[in-house]
Amino acid sequence: MDNDFYTGEFEQLLKEKTDLFRMFPSKRVWHSIYNNLHPSRRWPSVIMSLLLMSSLSFIGYLNTGGNNSNGHTTLAITKNPNAINNQETAENKNIFFSARKTQKQTIVNYNTSFADVITNETDFLTYTIVKNNRPNYIYNTTAVKEFAKLVSNKNTEQNSSKNFEQAVDTYIKSNKNFADIAVTNKRQYAKNKKRRSQIINSNELSTVNIESSLITTTDKIVSTKVENSNFDLNDISKEDKNTIAKIDIIEDKNRLKNEEKVWIENYALQNKLAGKKWKQHLAFQIYVTPAVNYRKLTTESRGSTTAFATADINNVISQKPGFGIEAGASINYAFANRMQLKTGLQLNYTNYNIDADQTNHPIITTILLNDPNTGYSYSAARTSTTSNVFNSGALQPVTLHNRTYQISLPIALAYKLSSENNVDWFVGISAQPTYVFGGNAHLISTDLKSYVSDPSSISTWNLNFGFETYMNFKMRSYNLQVGPQVRYQVYSTYRKYLALIEKPYAVGLKFGLTKGF
Amino acid sequence: MTEELMLNGCLRNNATSQEALYSHFSPKMLGICYRFAKNREDAEDMLQEGFIKVFTQIHQYRNEGALEGWIRRIVVHTCINILKKNKKFSDSVDITNANSIRIREEMIPSIIQAKQVVECIRSLPLGYKTVLNLYAIEGYSHKEIALMLDIEESTSRSQYTRAKAMLEEILIRKKIIQKPKKKIKFYGAVSPS
Repeated sequence: MDNDFYTGEFEQLLKEKTDLFRMFPSKRVWHSIYNNLHPSRRWPSVIMSLLLMSSLSFIGYLNTGGNNSNGHTTLAITKNPNAINNQETAENKNIFFSARKTQKQTIVNYNTSFADVITNETDFLTYTIVKNNRPNYIYNTTAVKEFAKLVSNKNTEQNSSKNFEQAVDTYIKSNKNFADIAVTNKRQYAKNKKRRSQIINSNELSTVNIESSLITTTDKIVSTKVENSNFDLNDISKEDKNTIAKIDIIEDKNRLKNEEKVWIENYALQNKLAGKKWKQHLAFQIYVTPAVNYRKLTTESRGSTTAFATADINNVISQKPGFGIEAGASINYAFANRMQLKTGLQLNYTNYNIDADQTNHPIITTILLNDPNTGYSYSAARTSTTSNVFNSGALQPVTLHNRTYQISLPIALAYKLSSENNVDWFVGISAQPTYVFGGNAHLISTDLKSYVSDPSSISTWNLNFGFETYMNFKMRSYNLQVGPQVRYQVYSTYRKYLALIEKPYAVGLKFGLTKGF
Repeated sequence: MTEELMLNGCLRNNATSQEALYSHFSPKMLGICYRFAKNREDAEDMLQEGFIKVFTQIHQYRNEGALEGWIRRIVVHTCINILKKNKKFSDSVDITNANSIRIREEMIPSIIQAKQVVECIRSLPLGYKTVLNLYAIEGYSHKEIALMLDIEESTSRSQYTRAKAMLEEILIRKKIIQKPKKKIKFYGAVSPS
């Protein structure tokens, strides 16, 4: 850039220069716009949801278990398609490397020094990763060669390998081409330092067989200089430092050809860790829903003329809605601008109250069952200690609790209807396969005069559907959700052989707290 | 595809035309967003929201002036709206003591030419760079900026003055521009009367 163009027209200068600036957005942006503009073409079907669920689970597994998503170490050591070419080029020109010991010894030294460096020097790690993944044309830039020449000429006696690493580090810092990339990788490195140290300390690193052909040229410089222990940062004379500065300036002018610019810009975006990309779409939610439980009773009998079969069952029972609660944790995945997929684990407590009188002694009574073979109903003998004659005065009034304890796996979809300032409005539906692991059931007798307690009549598996709408309040690092929720049980609480069918539903107010990863 | 064809297609909500329009204008618009944004990802989010507005409001375009200018205004307004949602932003534009702000040298990258200028602008504090972007580059008046950012007009002026001084300092330090030489005044000899 011409240094003499200062004209006093500051705004004009800024406008001219900034108008020339272009950046190419990633495909994600267009996909998001497209999905937003044409939701009908991408409206998720059940199959799509299941596919997403499977993918999410798979990626979750990959990110937590044995894979090395933070694996700069592995990447730096093994993923190096350009390294062989780079090495061949460098060796042919005899610029960089002059090993004094055997190749085997070099590899051992390299391994040791490399492990030390990636433990302590984040910039060097970044540099290594960048270098190992960049194309040949960048690798072969003048600056790198000249710097390498300069370094290889500094064969003084004293000083440690650490100084050489510092020199490399200094060069990385002076080479601003890596600035954006370095920031990304450095932050990520800081987060995962502990994990990386574990990898290094484990056999994982030590068992990696580093082939000599995979050691890139500059890495060899490191190993050679570490091996020789003969390089010091202070040994770079003022003149040489000026040379580096000049090289940088020349490089700045010549470096940014189009393909390089595109590569540099895209590198930082494309080489962000996969986990980080996913993390932007994932959030963890905990929630609790105090609810009022209602129920609807019906009967299903065949060939029975009992009072149970003929009366309106809801009117002969003195029943009151009970207080229930749902609480759980879920992972939310925002797979589109307005759509979220949620799944997690939820604990439910449902409760429904019946007014009855406690009898003085057990009474023999019957309940109506259906024969699965014939389909006809029949009365089965049971004992009862509670009477349906509520508040008679002669007996002790008592409240019976029909309770269940459930664990469910909700799979939910939420759609953002609107967004204003820091408040979003969502609607959502969920399907909740449910396992009932406890509870109690008080069943009305065939003559409608008694209640029979029979926990074994509760069906173990069930299915619930939920509908909710809520406001999402964006806070500093958390999101708070508040809104009404309705939960409806699809199948009867009781097993199929019972003639009594109970379909409970709960109306509650959900409070949720969400935090991104 | 010509601009007219793209426009007609977009009015019919045709996906191909929308993609063509997007491909044509998005690099420049992302450059604009990038000047306002904290990082590339934020800039892409701004771009995404901006283009959704463009496509949903394209029927309001009246063929008065260039389409690019119309899109640009929508994108800039989107950037400002997104920034205003951020609490840090409202704090930034109310900064009155510019002396307390220092730019760290390592914050200034040295990628050449247009990108270098853009990066220097981006290294300014949030409030400064926003006002500078709007006034010096996007051509909004201080009155318009005051309305857009919900600040006083005088605040916009002072923010711009400080932003300009700070940016000049950075550009000089980065040797992108040179210090203006002081004008030498020549005084003629006074002839004896």
